[in-house]
Amino acid sequence: MRRRTLLSSLTALTAAALVLTGCGAKAKDDPSPAGGAWSYTAGDGKTYTADKTPKRIIAHAYAAKALMEFGIKPVGIYADGKVGADVGLKGVDFTGVTILGEEWGKIDAEKAVTLAPDLIVADWWPVEKVYSGQEEGVEDSAKKLAELADVVGPAQGDSIVGVIEGYAKLAESLGADPSVIAAARGKFEEAKTRFQAATAAKPNLTALAIGPYDNTYAIAVPKYAPELLDFQKWGLKVIDPQKPDPEFPYWESLSFENADKYQPDVLLFDDRNHPGNQEKLAAQPIAKSIKAYAAGAMTTWPAYWLHTYSDYTAQLDRLTAFIQGADENIGD
Amino acid sequence: MVATAEKAPPGTTAVKRIGLGGGLLIALGAVAVLAFLSIALGSRSVTLQTVLDAFFDPTATSPDLTVIRDMRVPRTLLAIVVGTALGLGGTLLQGVARNPLADPGIMGINSGAALAIVGGIMLIGVQSAAGYVWFAFAGAGIATVLVYGLAATGRDGATPVKLALAGAAVTAVFGSVTSAIVLSNVDALNEMRFWQVGALSGRFMPVFWQLAPFLVIASLIALFAGRPLNTLALGDDVARALGQPVALTRTVLFALIAVLCGAATAAAGPIAFLGLMVPHLARFICGPDYRWILPYSALLGPVLLLACDIAGRVVVAPGELQVGVVIGVVGAPVFIALARFRRLVQL
Repeated sequence: MRRRTLLSSLTALTAAALVLTGCGAKAKDDPSPAGGAWSYTAGDGKTYTADKTPKRIIAHAYAAKALMEFGIKPVGIYADGKVGADVGLKGVDFTGVTILGEEWGKIDAEKAVTLAPDLIVADWWPVEKVYSGQEEGVEDSAKKLAELADVVGPAQGDSIVGVIEGYAKLAESLGADPSVIAAARGKFEEAKTRFQAATAAKPNLTALAIGPYDNTYAIAVPKYAPELLDFQKWGLKVIDPQKPDPEFPYWESLSFENADKYQPDVLLFDDRNHPGNQEKLAAQPIAKSIKAYAAGAMTTWPAYWLHTYSDYTAQLDRLTAFIQGADENIGD
Repeated sequence: MVATAEKAPPGTTAVKRIGLGGGLLIALGAVAVLAFLSIALGSRSVTLQTVLDAFFDPTATSPDLTVIRDMRVPRTLLAIVVGTALGLGGTLLQGVARNPLADPGIMGINSGAALAIVGGIMLIGVQSAAGYVWFAFAGAGIATVLVYGLAATGRDGATPVKLALAGAAVTAVFGSVTSAIVLSNVDALNEMRFWQVGALSGRFMPVFWQLAPFLVIASLIALFAGRPLNTLALGDDVARALGQPVALTRTVLFALIAVLCGAATAAAGPIAFLGLMVPHLARFICGPDYRWILPYSALLGPVLLLACDIAGRVVVAPGELQVGVVIGVVGAPVFIALARFRRLVQL
């Protein structure tokens, strides 16, 4: 999540320089059991094997949520921020799970040793070629975690579905019940169908994904937001901003004086800082010149945190209802 | 140095007075020109006709006019009152503390305001500039009173050295408490991140109307502080010998400083360098007589603040740089250049 937050972009500039080339997942997709009892081909393209199925797992909090949905509970997690304050971790029951860190770049490696992990699970970032928690700029102790066990996980890419399916496959290799996975997938597919029906009924509806903060009107670039790419694929016209920031192309930053540059039919606020970011916009006199804002046509979008079918299903259903009530003649 | 001015032949003094008076008019003109530019220029390009419409056609409405009337005008007015207040506040502070490095940052004013803001966010949950203005104001006032109170205890009263030490101590204490809160409270961190740099954007008419009365009245009173400051500049003993009630004068001046810097900091955040630089610039132009330094400071403050704010809007369009950042970048080299003229830094 950290890498996608504009707010932390200043400190992550060095890492961000690497983010310019695109987001294609390149993980090889050929599980070839190499003799061991357990084998998994991770997002980094390597196939990992073990004599017996790993049981003691330490996972990045989002990965943990993804695995837990399929019935695999880790022994320890590390998060990018306070677990209770993260919209992406809402409703997850971490009782009995040791929390090894609640700040980006900080993982308590000493405590991790005492958990005796046999597998570490996190998202693989194909552009930076690194797993969550091992990025450039994390503390040395966080890097030590990777020495305790193999780090594996599916690759981030251009669709949330790809990430979730990656976790499904991993969970299955770790002993998850395939019928649980199939049930979650089935519900999601239904929600997706409803979403597509809603957008098909409003073919001209345009949306702008924004994260206003301080004195900046930040517009999300769908190319680097897999859920927005999904929405585009499923028929919602999420506007691609014209000039993404050169050094941090996840966003286009405008001053509030220029906040009426795009006139969508609906506004989607980054839900990680909502309602604070909406209040920031409300305080700006220019807000009334953004037609969608003036018309009250706004909601939130699940920004950069989706990792489970149940979350995605709930979010799609919420957005479907919103789209059904939306007016496609507000913007330009 | 004061003596030189008084020893000068009457003729020269008259000529000098006319020159300095003319200089003041030029500075006033510069404020007017920059104020116009501040309304006409920005990260959004607006035609001159639209700018005129904004003022002479009250019925017209458009996004351009919203930007001009509701965003640029309050920002420009704030720049003027805040610039004046910080210019005058810095001058009074340097004069009363007899310390060429005195500015609101050193006297604990910024740290007091910052602590009050994070306290307000944490305890009551205020989240807008208009909401935490009073907290910042109160915090700045409390810090000033505390610094002055600490410095004034003891036999010699508030001597320059004791003022500087008390300021440093209060700043350190407030700063660490602020850090402790900010590190554990995300809301406070987000607000502080923006506030701490100093900005004129994002604060609109309500903030201006809340603080303008304090800033304007205190500025007007401060303009008449030239004579007592001149006397104080001779040192406490001489000032006493000349019949000035030193302690009372200091107390009154400090109250003025608390209002000026406190309200300015509440309105725009801790704008670094301005309060430090402006008095030196003024002294560079008109010499050591505070009766001239004060009006010059009152005009040079807004000139600098407006110029930096405009620059911040133009250089990175369509984004914006906060004025606090621009002042730091522009101010530091200018101040170093000024400081090279050693004569200026002496009071």
